[in-house]
Amino acid sequence: MKKSYVIKRILYAVFIFFVVLTLNFFIPRIGVSDPAERYYPPQGAMSEIEYEIIKQYTREQYGFDVSTFQQYIRYLQDLAHFDLGTSLQAGSPKVTELIGQRLPWTLVLSVTTLLISLSIGLLFGTFAAWKRGRWQDTMLLNASTISVALPAFFIALMLSFYLGFELELFPAYTNPNMVGQFDWSWEAIQVVFNNAALPIMSMALGGIVGYSQTTRNSVIAVTNEDFVITARAKGLSHTTVLYKHVLRNAMLPLSTSIGMSISGLIGGAIIIERVFNWQGMGTLFLEANSTSDYPLMMGIMLFLSAFAILANLVTELFYVILDPRVTVGDRR
Amino acid sequence: MTDTVLEVRNLKVAFPAPGGVIRAVEGIDLTTSKGECVALVGESGCGKSVTALSIMKLLRTPPSVSRIDKLQLDGRDLTGLTERDMEHVRGKDMAMIFQDAMTALNPVMTVGKQIDEVYRRHVKLGRKEARKRSVRALELVGVPEARSRADSYPHELSGGMRQRVLIALAFACMPKLIIADEPTTSLDVTIQAQVLDVLRSMQKDHDVSALLITHDLSVVANMADTVYVMYSGKIVERAAALELFTAPRHPYTQGLLASVPKLSDDKQAFVQIPDTVPHPMHKPEGCYFHPRCSHTTDRCRQHMPRLETLEKDRQIRCWHPLHQERAT
Amino acid sequence: MSSRNVLLQVARRGGSFLSLIKKLWQHPKGRVGLILVGLLVVVAVLAPVLAPYDPYDVTQRAEKGLRPSLEHPLGTTITTGQDIFSMLIYGTRVSLLIGITTGVAIAFLGALMGVMAGYIGGFVDNLIMRIVDVLLVIPTLPLIIVLTGLLGRSYFVIVLVFVLFGWTGLARVIRSLVLVLKNSNYVKAAELAGASRWYIMMKHILPGTSHLIIMNTTLTCAGIMVAEAGLSFLGLGDPTAISWGKMLAEAQGGGALLFGAWWWILAPGAGIFLAVFSFMRIGIVMEEIFNPRMKASSSIYKLFKHLNNDYLDEVFRSMDDEESADPPDGLHPAMSEGGHD
Repeated sequence: MKKSYVIKRILYAVFIFFVVLTLNFFIPRIGVSDPAERYYPPQGAMSEIEYEIIKQYTREQYGFDVSTFQQYIRYLQDLAHFDLGTSLQAGSPKVTELIGQRLPWTLVLSVTTLLISLSIGLLFGTFAAWKRGRWQDTMLLNASTISVALPAFFIALMLSFYLGFELELFPAYTNPNMVGQFDWSWEAIQVVFNNAALPIMSMALGGIVGYSQTTRNSVIAVTNEDFVITARAKGLSHTTVLYKHVLRNAMLPLSTSIGMSISGLIGGAIIIERVFNWQGMGTLFLEANSTSDYPLMMGIMLFLSAFAILANLVTELFYVILDPRVTVGDRR
Repeated sequence: MTDTVLEVRNLKVAFPAPGGVIRAVEGIDLTTSKGECVALVGESGCGKSVTALSIMKLLRTPPSVSRIDKLQLDGRDLTGLTERDMEHVRGKDMAMIFQDAMTALNPVMTVGKQIDEVYRRHVKLGRKEARKRSVRALELVGVPEARSRADSYPHELSGGMRQRVLIALAFACMPKLIIADEPTTSLDVTIQAQVLDVLRSMQKDHDVSALLITHDLSVVANMADTVYVMYSGKIVERAAALELFTAPRHPYTQGLLASVPKLSDDKQAFVQIPDTVPHPMHKPEGCYFHPRCSHTTDRCRQHMPRLETLEKDRQIRCWHPLHQERAT
Repeated sequence: MSSRNVLLQVARRGGSFLSLIKKLWQHPKGRVGLILVGLLVVVAVLAPVLAPYDPYDVTQRAEKGLRPSLEHPLGTTITTGQDIFSMLIYGTRVSLLIGITTGVAIAFLGALMGVMAGYIGGFVDNLIMRIVDVLLVIPTLPLIIVLTGLLGRSYFVIVLVFVLFGWTGLARVIRSLVLVLKNSNYVKAAELAGASRWYIMMKHILPGTSHLIIMNTTLTCAGIMVAEAGLSFLGLGDPTAISWGKMLAEAQGGGALLFGAWWWILAPGAGIFLAVFSFMRIGIVMEEIFNPRMKASSSIYKLFKHLNNDYLDEVFRSMDDEESADPPDGLHPAMSEGGHD
């Protein structure tokens, strides 16, 4: 019975991906009849004929010389080979190549932030749940409200100012040579984390508060359930009740939250990367935007969507493992 | 009485709330003896469940506050015990069966594991030994194919089966006292009968003392030896089961008995006790039952009657106890 | 308390919009929120009156990079010499406008979708939920970046994307509630009486969700304002408008950090904080009002801290039986032993 659920979810994920990639195909074609004009907007000094020739060349180069439907087929064929297109940058690098170069850098920020936020958040959250109603709990609630109202990029700017410029503890701007000079040596790694410190701090602050609040709510909700009283009535030790009964059940809604965070892991750092000029996917995307590099932009978008779909799928399947009650056709 | 198992003296429980205090239990006494089944009867909201939780010392101090003069289990004083000490009493010497088996069981743990837990904790058994005992416990309560059923999750079992699991859990270490809080209320009538059978045989066969909490008089008739009737936090009558059913002396008890629809040839109107239970924060002056009682006098309106003890084990809290002809 | 009961409680119709405002006012935290929001609205509307200078007016520029002083409470920008304090005031307009319009639009769309999905069910429900699933996996920020490139940088595009993608949250929540309301007696009665689907949806179901919609919308507005700040920071909004996010971008780009002009960063940040915080406050208080069980457990703790031991003793003492003189009817005085004293 579980197996058919898994297969169903996978098929559904594929279906969603299909819809997304179709949308992805059509978005750059919005508002223009001739996509070549998008890729090569008219330049002032050119004559009509010169522009036409260039457009024709662009069309051939990028395959716009065939019908839209044929373009779509080619698009699908490329995707089947994991080809997300070719960037308009000098040297025409493949989109996948560029993503491959920058993705690890974004992951350095995102994954570290997630790990820090989760571990500290779980601890704080359980603590706040334990001290329910007391000042520690109230403080968390206030912190949550404040944290939402203070956007991460603002915190980033303030940190950048105080810790970066004033106190000079960490670099306020990422060292532009950091990527090129990276050679897996211990010094290079230190440089990376030195530069990553402020971005991670900016994101982790909100993350810690967020996970603390979610954990706290989840733990309290579970503690009020009848089976916890049963566990206590059985005379089980305080620790057993906490771990085997309370936390084990509190993890369920929590894992859904974690799953959602993961799906936004890559795209979520765009603004922070911009603040610190960190050479990751976010800045890559912004650069692509400033040069109207549509193949690169749409390639990244598709990648991000695919990642989100995959993350959601994994979370759902993981949830099935965690919660034996989930059966076919269950919608949380 | 040397075979007294549970002795509760003057239990009082209150829940402070904005605007006042919820007076849940107002000074009640309870005793049970070995092998005896004592029923605590009352409508919802009269404080029965709170009483049960207090005896197990499961109530937490916020949100509740409680006082008790004496709480003894088989001669052992429980009042001074710390929470940690209580952990060794609960489940082992004294156990509880809860009302709703679906919510009372941990949904992500197999039922077998949940029973194993008790053995591993109190009898210090290893995993295999504990599982053997758990399977035996399940067999005892009539769960078919106990060994494979032990690996089921609570949601995979039927309601009656789940309740049996709860019973098995409670009886696992053969405690001296079992407290059953509305053990059959959430079940279908046919299943109720089965579960009650199991409960009764377990109790009688192993000489376990039981405190049965219910609002269902048919369950009381089936199982109880002695009955305490509770109203709005106070005990209003205590009698042997047969006495209570044939010759109730408190108007409330009489009303309860009368409102049970009877199968008979003459079609009778439904009898109801008028009005509803007093709000636990705003109780009436005098006797709590007087607004609903047909025999009220001025005295009832002004003074709360004391709990008087009549002939052996008969108690009544009323200014005008009823004199009944013994009905058959 | 089961989640179903929680939803039902929230749906219980209790008073009109005005009574809601009154309840908010009575709640101490709610009052603060209301005052702040009111303040912000006043500032936004009366910006030209309140601001000492008009930041849009090129002729009113002063010297660049001035530090805070009496003439310029927050100094002037390093890049253009505009008065920062005035910019702060004018920035309120963008934030509130975007936040509220988006919130209201999402309220309409989300509620409609949620009610349809929940009440009509079947194919409609399926379709709407599939659309939600697709919308949820598309990364909104990159999409907005792309679309502003395609369609031009404007707040219209931003609001459009926010609304098109933002209704999903509300729709889901409303749908859950509608599924519960569907089975309530007054709806069933209306169905039996032959009312049309639309009538039932509009007259019965929708009002039952009104509290949830208002609460959700308030919190949505708060979230939108944060998001808009981020987008303006990236330069995706109207380049001619003054917004707090854009001020932050200008500050960083203009070297505020280098020159230590921290007030240029703090001011718009404080603005964002105030706007978002006040809306959130109201939203949270609304949740407490609609959902009394959710009342902060801290109130129980406070209650306990202030509990007078004497008071408790008195309560417990009052539970004891009286020492009365006469026994009850029909009982010989010698027989009665009584309870406790």
